Amino acid sequence: MFQTFGLNKLLGTKLTYEESELVAALRNKDEQSFSYLYEHYSGALYGVIKQIVNDAELSNDVLQECFVNIWRRIETYDESKGRLFTWMLNIARNAAIDKTRSKGFQQGQRQIPLDGEILQPSVKPGIDDFGLKKLILKLKDEQRLLIDLSFFQGYTHEQIANALHIPLGTVKTRIRSALIQLRALMQ
Amino acid sequence: MNVKEYISSGIVESYVMGLATEAERTEFEALCAQYPEIAEARNAFELALEEQLLNDSLQAPPFLQSQIKDKVNSSAGEAYPGELPEETPVRRVGAWKFLAAASLILLAGSVYWALTTNKKNQDLLARNKELENQAQQSTAQMNRMQDDIDKLRHPMMTAALKSTDNKGTFATIYWDTLSASKDVYLLINNMPQPPSQKQYQLWALLNGQPIDLGMIEVKEKTLLYRMKNVQNAQAFAITVEPKGGSEKPTSAPVAMSNL
Repeated sequence: MFQTFGLNKLLGTKLTYEESELVAALRNKDEQSFSYLYEHYSGALYGVIKQIVNDAELSNDVLQECFVNIWRRIETYDESKGRLFTWMLNIARNAAIDKTRSKGFQQGQRQIPLDGEILQPSVKPGIDDFGLKKLILKLKDEQRLLIDLSFFQGYTHEQIANALHIPLGTVKTRIRSALIQLRALMQ
Repeated sequence: MNVKEYISSGIVESYVMGLATEAERTEFEALCAQYPEIAEARNAFELALEEQLLNDSLQAPPFLQSQIKDKVNSSAGEAYPGELPEETPVRRVGAWKFLAAASLILLAGSVYWALTTNKKNQDLLARNKELENQAQQSTAQMNRMQDDIDKLRHPMMTAALKSTDNKGTFATIYWDTLSASKDVYLLINNMPQPPSQKQYQLWALLNGQPIDLGMIEVKEKTLLYRMKNVQNAQAFAITVEPKGGSEKPTSAPVAMSNL
């Protein structure tokens, strides 16, 4: 990433963008802004994708799909709803979770959890202890499980409530308090 | 409403991380437009999250960038294919549909599996039964042969019955003269099929008189035929008689012996 930055500098291309400028340039299908976007954000998104998918090759596919979607769908980005990065993060996360639900992935990686079965946390201490996973490892077991199931594995509140035999309202409250805890760990 | 309480409820984090429900999202977006503090709180968390992830990121393989660029360029001229749904927070109905479809497939799969397994199982059971029968038959056959061999080992008087009509009939009598019961066995060396409605009958001859020793039921796998006992005999003979046998021979012998 730093190397490419240096190269851009040498070529005299634009080094930084204000977010609004970047969005406008992307909407104009400006390829240079797309390169900037990739160089600046791909690492952060790739980290999240990798932690969801747990497979290097599939993560590459997801990252590619994610950036192609960002390029194609930039029109649908709405500044009033949040920052560009948040929008991209959700695209990346959804694409990664979709990948984990795909047929090929399941054959190789995990079982489909059915209703009522105990869902297994995929967050365990290991080589992917960076970014958000590093933070959620510091949470209490129950909070870690809830963040893992909802954020990293993409289960809905209802599915989690059914699987863990906890009332829906409780799931929601506990996820929120886990998120508040997570935020505190960020600072 | 209590804005401060709302902000600290976790809704901000839940919304930004894509974990809020559709209803919560709609409400949150409306409230953001209404209360700038809420939008500010959202922005603050977004920046914190962004910073966190940018600082602790994972570099993607370098070849990906050009690959993505190519892909984007090849589709740059394409019209956007209709309105894709906006970034929906991960799977709502989709997950249920998926799970339902998956369970149906699993169900169909297990039913098929159960049926084929059952069929296979039945086939195997039948085959097993068949083999068991065969094994029983073989064992019985072997036991019979072993019995015959044991009998033949026993010292017995033998008499060869040779063809008297040039049809090649040849049989051997084993006569256990040492036992009290004086058992008689017949071993068929060669015996043509009798004419239909006819049967071979064995006789002992004593002082010119025939003594019935029984009918010979020719069976392929039988070595020694147990015949009727006889205390004394000077010769043995086989005649062809009407089915069921005769009291006295009604035709000339086809094979005869002398003792």
